[in-house]
Amino acid sequence: MRPILLSGHERALTQIKFNPDGDLLFSTAKDQQICVWFSHNGERLGTYKGHQGAIWTVDVDPTSTFIASGSADNTIRLWEIKSGKCLKTWDFPTAVKRVEFSEDGRQLLGVTEKRMGHLGTIVVLDIELDVNAEQSDERALTIVCDESKATVAGWSYMNKYIIAGHEDGSVSQYDAKTGEQLDNVPVHELNMQVTDLQWSTDRTYFITASKDKTARLIAARDLELLKTYPSDTPLNSACITPKKDYVILGGGQAAMDVTTTAARQGKFEARFYHKIFEDEIGRVRGHFGPLNTVAADPTGKGYASGGEDGYVRIHHFDKGYFDFKYEVERERDNRL
Amino acid sequence: EDAERGASADLAVVEARRRLLDEWLAWRESVEAELEDERLARGLPAQPDEAEAKQAEKGEEQVIE
Repeated sequence: MRPILLSGHERALTQIKFNPDGDLLFSTAKDQQICVWFSHNGERLGTYKGHQGAIWTVDVDPTSTFIASGSADNTIRLWEIKSGKCLKTWDFPTAVKRVEFSEDGRQLLGVTEKRMGHLGTIVVLDIELDVNAEQSDERALTIVCDESKATVAGWSYMNKYIIAGHEDGSVSQYDAKTGEQLDNVPVHELNMQVTDLQWSTDRTYFITASKDKTARLIAARDLELLKTYPSDTPLNSACITPKKDYVILGGGQAAMDVTTTAARQGKFEARFYHKIFEDEIGRVRGHFGPLNTVAADPTGKGYASGGEDGYVRIHHFDKGYFDFKYEVERERDNRL
Repeated sequence: EDAERGASADLAVVEARRRLLDEWLAWRESVEAELEDERLARGLPAQPDEAEAKQAEKGEEQVIE
C-alpha cells in the first residue's frame, strides 16, 4: 500500500474530501487556497483562490458540480468545480468551521464560530443546482447553539436530521426542517470537543472523533451509541470505509503539547479498527505531525489523510486489505 | 492444560464476535427496513440507487437528443 504524497499546501491541512466517484480529492489548509487532485495519481488538477484567511472546511455536492468552503475570513463560498469560478460568497459575523451539502445537494449547512458577542450557529442555505443561477442570500434556517457551540455538523439520511457535535463532547439531533433540538447526548467525555463527524454511505449512522481519545459510532435516528473505538491519542478525525467494515482514526498530540521524549516520528499514524468488533487491526505510519483529517474513498478503493505537516497522503488498498476477514465473517459468507 | 485453556479463551472470543456480528446485522436490517418505509412514504424509490440510475438514464437521453 504505497502512498501517493501530495505536496501543494504550505500550512497544516484542515479537511480533505473525495467526490462521490472517488476520482477527485479536495483539500483545505490554513493557507488560503483549496486544492483539487486526481486521486489515482496525485496530480494537482487546480486550485480555488479567493479566501482571505485559513480555510477550515470543504464539501462536494452529490453531482460533483460544486464545492463549498468555509473560512476564517467569515465567509462560505460556492465554487464551480470545473471552471474554478467562485459563484457565491455568503458573509457571517465569525469564522466558518464546517460546511456540508445535504444528501440531495439542495441545501448546504455551515457551522459558525462562537466569539465575544456572537453565539455559535448552524446555518442552512438553499442551493440552486445550476451554475448559472443566482444563489439566494437568505438563510433558510439558523440554529443557535446556546448551550455549547457546535464544532461539526452534517445531514442525516433524507435530510431528516441535522446532527451536530459540540465543544462539550455532546452530540445533538435537530429537526432539519424546523431547527428544533430533538435530542442531546453526552457521547464523549465532558468538555472533550467533538472534532469530526462523518457518515456511513446511507447516512443512517455516523462516526465522531474527539479529544477524549475515542471515536464513536452512533445511530442517526435515536443517537444510540453503537460502538466505541478507544485509542491512546487525542483524535482529530474519523471515517467509515465503504465495502469493508472498518473505520479509520486520525489524530496525535500536537508538537507543542508533548514532552520531548514522546515527540518522535512514527507517532503519527492512521489507525484501522474493525467497525463491528471494535478491535484495532492495523496502523499506517507516514505523517510528521498529527493527522488532522482522514477520508475514505466512497468507492472503497482507498483512503487519504491530511496532516499538520502540510502533506496529503493517498493510499490505495491492496489485495490483502480486501481479502482479510475474521473467522466469523468467513463463516457467515459460507452460510449464505 | 494451558493449551486447552488458551483454546477455550479463543472460543469465547469467537463466540463474542459471532454475537457482535449477529447483533450488527440485525440492527442494519431494522434500520434498512425503516429507511425503506420512510422513503416510500415520501414517494421516493425504496433504494436511493434507483433514483440515481434514473437520473443517469435521463442524462444519457439528453446527450442523444
